[in-house]
Amino acid sequence: MGKDTTDQELIVSRQILSIPQRFSTGPVMGRFLRELRDNKRIMANKCPQCGRHQLPPREVCAVCRVEATEWEELGPEGVIHEFDVVYYASPDPLTGETRKTPYVACWAHLDGTQGHAPLWHLLDAPDPQKVRRGLRVRVVYADERKGAMTDIKHFEIIEDAAGGDG
Amino acid sequence: MKTKNRNVAVIGCGMSKFSSHREEVNQPEMIHEAVVEALEDARLALDDVDCVLHGNMELFEMVHQPDMWHVLGSGAWGKSGIRLTTGGTTGSTLACAADNVVASGLHDVVLAIGFEKLQEGHTTGGITNMADPLWGRGLQTGALTGTTAQQVIEEFGEERAKLAAIKLRTIMDENAMRNAKAHRRLQLDRNHLKDYADTDLRLVGELRMLHMCSQSDGACAVIFASEDKVDAFDANPAWVVDHETVHREETLMFTPEQTTHRAAAERLFARNGVTDPVRDLDVFEVYDPSAWWGLDWMREFLLLEGDEHLRMVENDEIGPDGKIAINPSGGVMASNPIGATALVRVAEAAMQVRGTAGDHQVPGPVRLALASGFGGTLWTVLMLLSKNKPQLGAASHG
Amino acid sequence: MANRVAICAVAQTKFETNRWDARMQGMVWEVVDAVRQQTHLAFGEDGIQAAVTVSDDVFDARTISDSAMTDVVGAHFQSEEKVAADGAQGVYYATSVILSGHHDVVLLAGHCKESQPASRNMVTHLAFDPFYTRPVGLDYLATAAMQAQAYMARSGVTEEQLADLVVRARQWASKNPVAQDNKPLSRQEALASPMLADPIREAFMYPVSDGAVAMILASEQRAAEITDRPIWVTGLGNCHDSFFLGERDLAGNFALQRAAERAYAMAGIDNPKQAFDVVEIADQYAHQLPQYAEGLGLCEAGGGGQWLSDGGPDNDNVNRSGGMLAGNPLMLGGMARMAEAVIQLRGEAGDRQVADAKRAVAQGATGPAGQLQTVVVLES
Repeated sequence: MGKDTTDQELIVSRQILSIPQRFSTGPVMGRFLRELRDNKRIMANKCPQCGRHQLPPREVCAVCRVEATEWEELGPEGVIHEFDVVYYASPDPLTGETRKTPYVACWAHLDGTQGHAPLWHLLDAPDPQKVRRGLRVRVVYADERKGAMTDIKHFEIIEDAAGGDG
Repeated sequence: MKTKNRNVAVIGCGMSKFSSHREEVNQPEMIHEAVVEALEDARLALDDVDCVLHGNMELFEMVHQPDMWHVLGSGAWGKSGIRLTTGGTTGSTLACAADNVVASGLHDVVLAIGFEKLQEGHTTGGITNMADPLWGRGLQTGALTGTTAQQVIEEFGEERAKLAAIKLRTIMDENAMRNAKAHRRLQLDRNHLKDYADTDLRLVGELRMLHMCSQSDGACAVIFASEDKVDAFDANPAWVVDHETVHREETLMFTPEQTTHRAAAERLFARNGVTDPVRDLDVFEVYDPSAWWGLDWMREFLLLEGDEHLRMVENDEIGPDGKIAINPSGGVMASNPIGATALVRVAEAAMQVRGTAGDHQVPGPVRLALASGFGGTLWTVLMLLSKNKPQLGAASHG
Repeated sequence: MANRVAICAVAQTKFETNRWDARMQGMVWEVVDAVRQQTHLAFGEDGIQAAVTVSDDVFDARTISDSAMTDVVGAHFQSEEKVAADGAQGVYYATSVILSGHHDVVLLAGHCKESQPASRNMVTHLAFDPFYTRPVGLDYLATAAMQAQAYMARSGVTEEQLADLVVRARQWASKNPVAQDNKPLSRQEALASPMLADPIREAFMYPVSDGAVAMILASEQRAAEITDRPIWVTGLGNCHDSFFLGERDLAGNFALQRAAERAYAMAGIDNPKQAFDVVEIADQYAHQLPQYAEGLGLCEAGGGGQWLSDGGPDNDNVNRSGGMLAGNPLMLGGMARMAEAVIQLRGEAGDRQVADAKRAVAQGATGPAGQLQTVVVLES
């Protein structure tokens, strides 16, 4: 079985499998996405016990295991905590498109965030080599928004607050 | 106070060859290779097995409940079984589950099977589908990030950090060259470390192609047995001492404040009297998805401080005859059939303890070996194996 | 066994055709929070030490579907392990975790939303191998239809008898606050419902369903602190049949019989016809009720039709929950059966309570036409 197949034609079966999905967002994620779409603002929820924010907002504070019922707006500006300069892009599994490289993605702590909850998104960085931790950034929204993470187009660097080498 | 109900040992290991395109076998056939080898290694027949555990990451192959189809190759027909899947940690969860199931008394001989046939699907698509469909899925680029490299470089300086990472990669490859089952055996040359570090294809930041793990097809089968059966079969055992699973919250953050790696290691070592991991452990089969993570996590897992981990790499202390042999198999950068990978770490650690690792057997007695699994939102699973039969109820658990 | 394991609390969402109002995490939190409140347990070494989750990546359309669960099962910096099969297998595994001595108190939480994919048949179609069985268009409905044909031919069970089972299921479901399909249905309506895959009519098939179930299991030492009504897991068994349908005796119960035998041996049961006060069978399709009753030893092999005529389901207190026919998603059918059994044994089943219930058997199935069967015996 599978041992001497050198003379055989190995038949391969090619299939594309897809199942259309309808994902529910629920009241917590749903509210976050609505606020992006309708009000262009980023809402995190906050744990009543430890006070940390969660982005994305989730039903429960992972640390305290209690419902995180308070909501607060964060940002719209923040500080880069980490970033990635991507040289090799994989095709988007949903659209099949591949981003032009190099591009930059970053994790930014939005102003007002309690605890470790950076927002992860693309960064508009004409010169990736100039990106540093500690740079101030601001959220830029898409003109057409539909209640999805892509309602945020990207972060942009706030030039006048650039901290040099960070 | 928790006491293990009864002792459990690994008594047989089997692996299919790991490669990028096992086109001459289908999934159950590939699994069957590993199962047959494990049975031969344990000198058992399928009839001796009570229960079959099975796992993989099914969105890679797009087969729903693949354990049903795989009954054809796993030997589970007429037998008990459970399917467990936890992403990259699947293989280690299978090992922990096998230990739990045998220790429980429900079954005496458990065959754990992990596999993946990545070439039958789209790997990065599979990983990207781990992201919350509402949050990160549009952004995620699989498991690639340069943030760890950035942190290591900031802490130790660019040249030193890059050299240490690529040297670690090269040591792993040297080990893989001695492992006939390994997928990628590149014959990397220590004379070209700087070249590799500076010119190899860049993926993200300082994460380069050479640093990255494989995408492999493969299956691994490991047989766990109760103490009674070890005696009855006159088996060659690697005793399961203990295991620890530590998960993290849902949001994927590549550089969290606290790592599950260190937490798992601290808990496991405290329970089992490991006070100096580098000294106490003879072998560590670590799930190293990239050379940068392998380097950074050495410090986390072995509870090191400062630049101790870099110095161990620089001073060649992690080779087969080093202070602690890390991935004598070549590790995950050499072979990565994801659903099997973490189980392969357990198998390789067990083989070292049992003395059955052949060409990549480390010299000297292997008394205590550690195996790690990685996956999900940076979770860790650790399993500790030993040559000596554990004393139940003595000091350890609780 | 050196130790005993008890189920100390159970909770189920009300099963619905479409829980559009909640995402998976929210649904699971409802039941996790419920069992936590029932037991007053915190998460941590002194309370809930580990989680076992139940879900399916293809149904969730999410690789590592348990990574979405960490927060709501309290697994941040704790252990979580996913069983990817019917939640009955989760009960099996969680029990073994405690019997092994590795943990004393385990949270078991399962979820599934059949409403999320365009069709659950598209999901189960993927359970078939890409070369032989998938190209002919098999899914779990089609295989169940073949099973039904084979079974009805051998046992003599009629379409009218199946319709009566559906009517009965709705009657009991109306007394179960979590049951989905609890509106009465007449025999004529059942027989007139559209034919999906001969002989399975829509009414004879479990409806599309969304929901979550959670349980807390504990070792004997801890159970007494946690609840005053621990329900003991006294027998467990599971077994696989083969994959290709032609290699199986579709009218028989190869896997279920062996799973039941193992569970009964452990529980010290030699006469299943007399042993149980409560029986819960995961009847995804109406014909599976008498078929699996045979496999469980409630009647002779091939005797399902006679058992129905003799009033077997009522005599043996089968599926007072309404059964899976009343509505549970694919991953939770067996687990919901076990939850009902616990509720009955705790005397908390209200209008559908079996008087003096002391011992129950509950069954769950995974795979095409019940290829993998799980049986659990529970006692108060």
